[in-house]
Amino acid sequence: MSNQKKRLNGGEREDEDEDDAEGIGEWERAYVDDRSWEALQEDESGLLRPIDNSAIYHAQYRRRLRMLSAAAAGTRIQKGLIRYLYIVIDFSRAAAEMDFRPSRMAVMAKHVEAFIREFFDQNPLSQIGLVSIKNGVAHTLTDLGGSPETHIKALMGKLEALGDSSLQNALELVHEHLNQVPSYGHREVLILYSALCTCDPGDIMETIQKCKKSKLRCSVIGLSAEMFICKHLCQETGGLYSVAVDEVHLKDLLLEHAPPPPAIAEFAIANLIKMGFPQRAAEGSMAICSCHKEVKIGAGYMCPRCKARVCDLPTECTICGLTLVSSPHLARSYHHLFPIAPFDEVPALSSLNDNRRKLGKNCFGCQQSLIGTGNKPGPCVTCRKCKHFFCLDCDIYIHESLHNCPGCESIHRPKSVSLMEE
Amino acid sequence: MIFKIEDVEVYFPYDNIYPEQYEYMVELKRALDAKGHCLLEMPTGTGKTIALLSLITSYRLAHLESPIKLIYCTRTVHEMEKTLAELKLLHDYQVRHMGERARILAIGLSSRKNLCVNTKVLAAENRDSVDAACRKRTASWVRALPADNPNVELCDFFEKYEKDAERALLPPGVYTLEDLRAFGKKHGWCPYFLARHMVQLANIIVYSYQYLLDPKVAGIISKEMQKETVVVFDEAHNIDNVCIEALSVSVRRVTLEGANRNLNKIRQEIDRFKATDAGRLRAEYTRLVEGLALRGDLSGTDQWLANPALPHDILKEAVPGNIRRAEHFVHVLRRLLQYLGGRLDTENVEKESPVSFVSSLNSQAGIEQKILKFCYDRLHSLMLTLEITDTDEFLPIQTVCDFATLVGTYARGFSIIIEPYDERMPHIPDPILQLSCHDASLAIKPVFDRFQSVVITSGTLSPIDLYPRLLSFNPVVSRSFKMSMTRDCICPMVLTRGSDQLPVSTKFDMRSDPGVVRNYGKLLVEMVSIVPDGVVCFFVSYSYMDGIIATWNETGILKEIMQQKLVFIETQDVVETTLALDNYRRACDCGRGAVFFSVARGKVAEGIDFDRHYGRLVVMFGVPFQYTLSKILLARLEYLRDTFQIKEGDFLTFDALRQAAQCVGRVIRSKADYGMMIFADKRYSRHDKRSKLPGWILSHLRDAHLNLSTDMAIHIAREFLRKMAQPYDKAGTLGSKTLLTQEDLEKMAETGVQDMVY
Repeated sequence: MSNQKKRLNGGEREDEDEDDAEGIGEWERAYVDDRSWEALQEDESGLLRPIDNSAIYHAQYRRRLRMLSAAAAGTRIQKGLIRYLYIVIDFSRAAAEMDFRPSRMAVMAKHVEAFIREFFDQNPLSQIGLVSIKNGVAHTLTDLGGSPETHIKALMGKLEALGDSSLQNALELVHEHLNQVPSYGHREVLILYSALCTCDPGDIMETIQKCKKSKLRCSVIGLSAEMFICKHLCQETGGLYSVAVDEVHLKDLLLEHAPPPPAIAEFAIANLIKMGFPQRAAEGSMAICSCHKEVKIGAGYMCPRCKARVCDLPTECTICGLTLVSSPHLARSYHHLFPIAPFDEVPALSSLNDNRRKLGKNCFGCQQSLIGTGNKPGPCVTCRKCKHFFCLDCDIYIHESLHNCPGCESIHRPKSVSLMEE
Repeated sequence: MIFKIEDVEVYFPYDNIYPEQYEYMVELKRALDAKGHCLLEMPTGTGKTIALLSLITSYRLAHLESPIKLIYCTRTVHEMEKTLAELKLLHDYQVRHMGERARILAIGLSSRKNLCVNTKVLAAENRDSVDAACRKRTASWVRALPADNPNVELCDFFEKYEKDAERALLPPGVYTLEDLRAFGKKHGWCPYFLARHMVQLANIIVYSYQYLLDPKVAGIISKEMQKETVVVFDEAHNIDNVCIEALSVSVRRVTLEGANRNLNKIRQEIDRFKATDAGRLRAEYTRLVEGLALRGDLSGTDQWLANPALPHDILKEAVPGNIRRAEHFVHVLRRLLQYLGGRLDTENVEKESPVSFVSSLNSQAGIEQKILKFCYDRLHSLMLTLEITDTDEFLPIQTVCDFATLVGTYARGFSIIIEPYDERMPHIPDPILQLSCHDASLAIKPVFDRFQSVVITSGTLSPIDLYPRLLSFNPVVSRSFKMSMTRDCICPMVLTRGSDQLPVSTKFDMRSDPGVVRNYGKLLVEMVSIVPDGVVCFFVSYSYMDGIIATWNETGILKEIMQQKLVFIETQDVVETTLALDNYRRACDCGRGAVFFSVARGKVAEGIDFDRHYGRLVVMFGVPFQYTLSKILLARLEYLRDTFQIKEGDFLTFDALRQAAQCVGRVIRSKADYGMMIFADKRYSRHDKRSKLPGWILSHLRDAHLNLSTDMAIHIAREFLRKMAQPYDKAGTLGSKTLLTQEDLEKMAETGVQDMVY
């Protein structure tokens, strides 16, 4: 099948290459690497068409949203805003496979990088550590820390795939690290698993129970197929298990882990945490920073308790151990506690058309037309509060990035403005 | 949920029902209404058992004026327990909604080994010795001995049961084997004899096929069942083989030697009795004069084995004069053994019909057909008279008499085959004389005749029109149901070529081709690296499996497989295989992943489920044809062609394909499950083979998957596994409902049955 399609794609240039008998030509290699034929599927009548994944993605997204809101609909939900997350990346033999382009390893690294940035963006008070599995052994790449750059640098430096994979070793290592974390922090593990088996030195079931006992929330993202042990691990520890279909899906699945998960009930005790809000130190003055032990000019913060100099926020003061944040960080963490309600899907029935026409045929967010191909009304959603219509892209954007509804905001604003004027 | 099917109110213990379950009930109800037999094929994992049980019990409740009885036959004890557990659930539900009116008595019946609670008896290792140990304690003459005799050991449970004879009853309810044992222990009654007694009174009986099909057992256990009985054979795809086995006997040299020893022992016993208690032998003689019909005067517990021929064949005539005396009978048996021994000395394969066998027996050993016919009953009577209790030691002579009676009774549908050595090992002499039955309808005929409805059901009964011919009956309903699915959770593929485009097959001339062996190996190596957890492989025979694994070992393919997954192999040893299976499951559980090499038609293929992660992929290497040079098979094929006009080729393909379907069907046991099936042989792509697969597999076999090479199969498998790992909606979308609620059913009842289901 693949051979035929390949020829189809490169058909027009075949004449030139006919005498080129040795190996595959340069032009051909491009197609082989690209695998463009995999993005095609045959429909009922035998015609080729690109695989239409947008509907699937949207359905997945809605399910996610519903799950979140169903959880939120219960009682006042508590979320762990201070998270201690270990990302475990499986760099075993299977990570060298080429079904993700250019290789699973590279794709994983790329998206983990994006994830780390997004994670700190959404959870400024949290910390990440990196662990890799290689040759059946788990290695700590970086310890828990709040600086995205250090993690990314450590991650990108070590890209090679070797040997077997061992889930148990990784869990044991992470467990050791996370056990020392203070009790108000939420312990999480996110495992990117590309292998299909795990070679363990002992009984992994015991390790899973140990993790469950110390309240580690383990989530796994598989890269090839569903594995029983991963599913079991996630079920036991309350994490999410998902398997990526392709690269885009992998990215989505990863980013799903960026917002904080609901706290484990018995673990969610309200706590007071001592925090410092350091001020930006005097520009132009020279000082040795406590984090890198280097002399730097300006651009730093001063711990309010011990007056040590740090470069980045948020962090923990290396001298006195105070958690140092800035107020925008706290504010940014809030939207997780007050999410916007999911939008209702508008059924594409003609009876509802009148109502719809009244409100206009354009998406309130991006002003694109909501009429789909063939003058049929395309899929769209509506906000429960302001009753404005939105297209699917805006729906995702509003819920996942913007965190407020433009419709509702535009109703409220005149009021607040007028109030202020009074 | 409670809903109506025509005039019957059906009590179903779950809130939702699958559409095919509903349809199944509708068809079953029609068969019950028509008081006829039916054949129903429904894929495994669709809740066949509960649909069946809930309809039949509800049907019974709706017609309480003439209540029907249900006999549910299963193949294994494990299945029996599962059925009873479901029945319990259903019964609780019915009692909750209908009150005391719905109470029934349902019991499971099994051998002494599974039911006995006497620890001393249970210490025996196999079934026959448990039976013998029980008889030693419960036979009437043993119990008649004075109680203070220190050599006599009685079973307390049986004594208590006999003492409370009238009061020893089971209150209504559903009893699994475990419940029976617990009940027996609590009241001090023997659960086995209690269960056997309650069989006559119970509303539902769950037991093994043999209790109905094997005439030796059926004569005792099932003889007094009422006509208004529904008999269900579950997992009945092999029912013809069970029928045939029930009437086939094979005699080897060891059997003859054992029989000779038994005869010597009997001889001694006779002499001893002559000296001490000659009256007994005389009493037996007079009894025999009056005919065997008087067997009933012996007490119930002493009847242990009935005649192997079928009930209607036992003539109500007197035993021939020349075997009435014990000594004469022993002489006859000696001559018979001698004759059989002489026949076993042959150097050629011989095949004979019963008629010519009997006539040559008559001319050479002077034993008439009529004498032969009575051998079994005469032996039985003699052993009772001689008060022999350790019946397990007397198995060889029983086998020989069994043989004699069958040869004497049936002139058609059987043949006698004598082989001096095993075909596969011609230099090791191992003579065997086989009386093989070719006609499956012989054993099952009395069941069809005696009972109102017989339901034959399984996950694989395709092609469904062949079964009525093989078993010679007329079903009023025969249907095959499809599985309604929320997603395409099975992915059958036909792999015809290796990655080098050379065809693969286990055809005789190709199977040892190194290219084929290598391609099969490569297929497995590739597959184990992309399939998670468990992979099961089926080969066509033990010898082929041994050969191919040895080659893979030499060429390093096995090593490559072991890098990904652990390898386990089924052997002919049951204990070894059980251990291998246990470790296989553990390897799948802990994430190491494992491959299980097994054989079609083996124990594993028939009875072990590889559901969920225990089997994500099953590879069927080759088409599992029977060993076509086997004399027995050839004789059967000839018989089938002459009698039922079934062509040899048709029958062989049918048999091979039902085995293949059975093997791959192990992988999926419920709708939430998913799995891939690879048929690795180019012959599967041919229409005559493929079309014999069950409908629920065929409907998922897309045209594009009919002629795959290894690399294409790999690609499909990758995509499939990724797709299946995604979360899904269990209830199905609006277009194709796969779970029906009460409202759906009511709506359906209004619009008519047919058009709403599909």
